[in-house]
Amino acid sequence: MWDQVKQALAQSTAGLLTTFASFLPRLAALILALLISIILGGILATLVLQSLIRLRFEERLVRWGIPTLAGGTLVKSPSLLVSRVIAGLVVLTGFLIGITAFNAQWTAQITQSVFAYIPNLLTAALLLFAGGVIARFLARSVLIGAVNMNLHYARLLSVGVKWLVLVLTAAMTLEHLRIAPAIVELAFGILFGGIVLALALAVGLGSRTIVSKSLERDPKERPSEPIEDALRHF
Amino acid sequence: MEVDSIPQETQKKMEEIANADLVVGILTDLDQEGIAKVSDALATLSGSPRVALLQNDDSSNPDHGKHATSDKNTSIVVIPWPQLRPLTPDTPVLSVFTAYRTVFAASEKLGAKACCILASKLETATPRWVFQLAQPLLENNVDLVVPRYASRKYEGLLNRSIISPLVRCLYGKRIHNPMGPDLGISRRLFQKVAGAEANSRPSDPHPLASLAPTALADNLGVCEVHVGSRTYSPTDWSNVSSVLAEILGPVFNDMQRNVAYWQRMRGSVPLPSFGEPVIVSQDAGPLDVSRMIESFHLANRDLEEIWSLVLPPASLFELRKIARLPVEQFRMPDELWVRIIFDFALAYRLRTINRDHLLKSMTPLYLAWVASYAHDLETTGAADPEQRLDRLSVAYESDKSYLVSRWRWPDRFNP
Repeated sequence: MWDQVKQALAQSTAGLLTTFASFLPRLAALILALLISIILGGILATLVLQSLIRLRFEERLVRWGIPTLAGGTLVKSPSLLVSRVIAGLVVLTGFLIGITAFNAQWTAQITQSVFAYIPNLLTAALLLFAGGVIARFLARSVLIGAVNMNLHYARLLSVGVKWLVLVLTAAMTLEHLRIAPAIVELAFGILFGGIVLALALAVGLGSRTIVSKSLERDPKERPSEPIEDALRHF
Repeated sequence: MEVDSIPQETQKKMEEIANADLVVGILTDLDQEGIAKVSDALATLSGSPRVALLQNDDSSNPDHGKHATSDKNTSIVVIPWPQLRPLTPDTPVLSVFTAYRTVFAASEKLGAKACCILASKLETATPRWVFQLAQPLLENNVDLVVPRYASRKYEGLLNRSIISPLVRCLYGKRIHNPMGPDLGISRRLFQKVAGAEANSRPSDPHPLASLAPTALADNLGVCEVHVGSRTYSPTDWSNVSSVLAEILGPVFNDMQRNVAYWQRMRGSVPLPSFGEPVIVSQDAGPLDVSRMIESFHLANRDLEEIWSLVLPPASLFELRKIARLPVEQFRMPDELWVRIIFDFALAYRLRTINRDHLLKSMTPLYLAWVASYAHDLETTGAADPEQRLDRLSVAYESDKSYLVSRWRWPDRFNP
């Protein structure tokens, strides 16, 4: 009986070692593919970055009005972003090549699911960009309008509007990416409602003096004409 | 130039008269007596030109449906034109431009040699104004007749602080009211403006505001007439920024259009003028500037981030210094104000930020200048505001080299 146990043990050990021995080259291939893709990605990113700098890519974007809209909300350096995206794509390609060494079927499945997800990614990226642009534009409009109306809480209003739009954008983006939709819906509702409540309180508390004065005023009393009425601008 | 829709009755009347030498557009409400007086004044023009008088005629006019004619001269025909009067109080400037466009279109249709537009309220604008605006057009071959109003010290401040000295600095001619609104325009000029408008992109501001720059840049004949005082609209404090944006947009657009001309121009000369100057009392009492200074302080705190995209560090530093001054010592130097205008014009051209945001963010700076101007007049006892404003115009001219340098090299020249 001991012989049979020893034989079984030897067979299972040999089987494991054989499997491991056949796995090792594939693992080595994956690591090698990743290393090469990282090196290639780095070289390509550097080349792309230098080319974009030489072509004055960021200045051209200014002329086309794109960074003036994004204005640093999302992107500090567009050239760096482009080069990093290219490097990321090269590394991803290397990873997929490495995965193929294990099982070509896995690669096909992974590739299929990645490509099926790409439209969601692109839409989410577009949503984020548009949301950032709109948030910045609206915040600036509200800030300038409120300052021109002599509202002392202008900055608060502006920040509130910006965050309202950004929170809405983030919720829409996460829903598009199908990331924890139920939690996102609940969190968005709480956050959005909280921001609106905070703004309402700020505006209401900030204007209580004006409201109480207008309620106390005798309706028959005519407001005195401001002395600055002598001004005529145009 | 096409008018969107000409009412049926108006079309019929225009077809009846077929052509006219002069078209006069009255943009305010006018009763029968007023029309008769205007007709009598026009009847004294030499050569008895055939005149078409476009009168606003809608149901709100108490004399709706009744038209006066002059007994003296049958060559004046009154054409009723509903909705000629600017109707939108929220965008008064744009609605005036629309009315101008209507008068130009009617002048083109009638083949008129010239047109006059009277937009001021007639309790101050006497019927004689039309004659004064029309006479140089028909008798002296002038292309643009601009009014010179007898203004009180706090009237027309937007024109006196920005438009007039800027036009003087850029185009070398001392025009006191380049944007009228009461103007006389020759056929040659309104056809040029109509051509510019036809080629302009839909997003560009309306070019009717650029009559004076177009006339000056094309070396057409321009003159001024002394016409007395006009009634200005009271300040709508909720709308100051919109008015500023509507007016300065076309002005800055013209700077881009005529850049080749104004970059070569140096100094300025007065325009030929007609009529006798009218003196008005400058007694307007003290002005409460606290609201305007408060607006500036608030903007200095909250809008500095936006101003820093437009103004160089030196100007921002000066603004911070001014913000720390006590109210009674509040002053904005002319040189700083001039550079602010030039920097905003440049930022408008470069589209540094959204143009509407840019112009509206200028409002507190303009109010700060007004407060400083009011202080100057009160504390230094300046009897003649014209002298004070002339100094401002000289400051514009002196600093023109700054504008030219920044315009040509916006990235390299940034003090």
